[in-house]
Amino acid sequence: GGERLCPPQVSVLYFARSAELAGLRRETLRVPRQLTALQLWEEIVSVHPRLAAIQDQVIFAVRQEYVVLGDQLLVLQPGDEVAIIPPISGG
Amino acid sequence: MDESEDVPKDFIKLKSEKLSVAEVSELVNSPYCGAVSLFVGTTRNNFEGKKVIHLEYEAYTSMAETEIKKICRDVRQKWPSVKHIAVHHRLGVVPITEASVIIAVSSPHRVESLEAVTYCINTLKASVPIWKKEMYEDEYSWKENKECFWANSEK
Repeated sequence: GGERLCPPQVSVLYFARSAELAGLRRETLRVPRQLTALQLWEEIVSVHPRLAAIQDQVIFAVRQEYVVLGDQLLVLQPGDEVAIIPPISGG
Repeated sequence: MDESEDVPKDFIKLKSEKLSVAEVSELVNSPYCGAVSLFVGTTRNNFEGKKVIHLEYEAYTSMAETEIKKICRDVRQKWPSVKHIAVHHRLGVVPITEASVIIAVSSPHRVESLEAVTYCINTLKASVPIWKKEMYEDEYSWKENKECFWANSEK
């Protein structure tokens, strides 16, 4: 036990308003392997500060499961998909 | 056709081409069903006194398809007699009066397919990662479904 694992590279996907604020639709980021959803948001905002404007209106999809920006602990693997999900408006 | 050959199917498609009510309805036809219920969502030309030029849709496509599959699975649990389900959603630009979403459900009797179609569109609006941009003459607006639990309801 106690093996040190390299911080994984994850794919971050941006949609709708978040893509406009970040200026892109997709990138890879190296993030801590274990962190809360809120901490992951803060990592992403440190790269794209304009995203702070929509913090109260977005959630994540991590490996295609919705996660609110809160205390839930995420354990990320290399290649995991993390999507920024602004309020949806399908249909 | 033996009913054992008429296996219940889900037809899910996200595409940028114009949607066809006839095509979607045809997909769910079954000789064992006496009812096909449909919902068609179309682009309205106005919102709060502003003229809408067109709508533009984008999607987290892989997750949207997965979420729609979950809706179909839930429909079959709630209404076991439902036979086929089709959900077609358009992406990209949708001009006024054209369809952005068509949902069709078949069942032996009408109650189940009517209720299932209502459930499908209501749940789609609450859970499927698709976004709509409403284009006005001088500006645009990213819409937010009231069903979306993380939307800022004070807007």
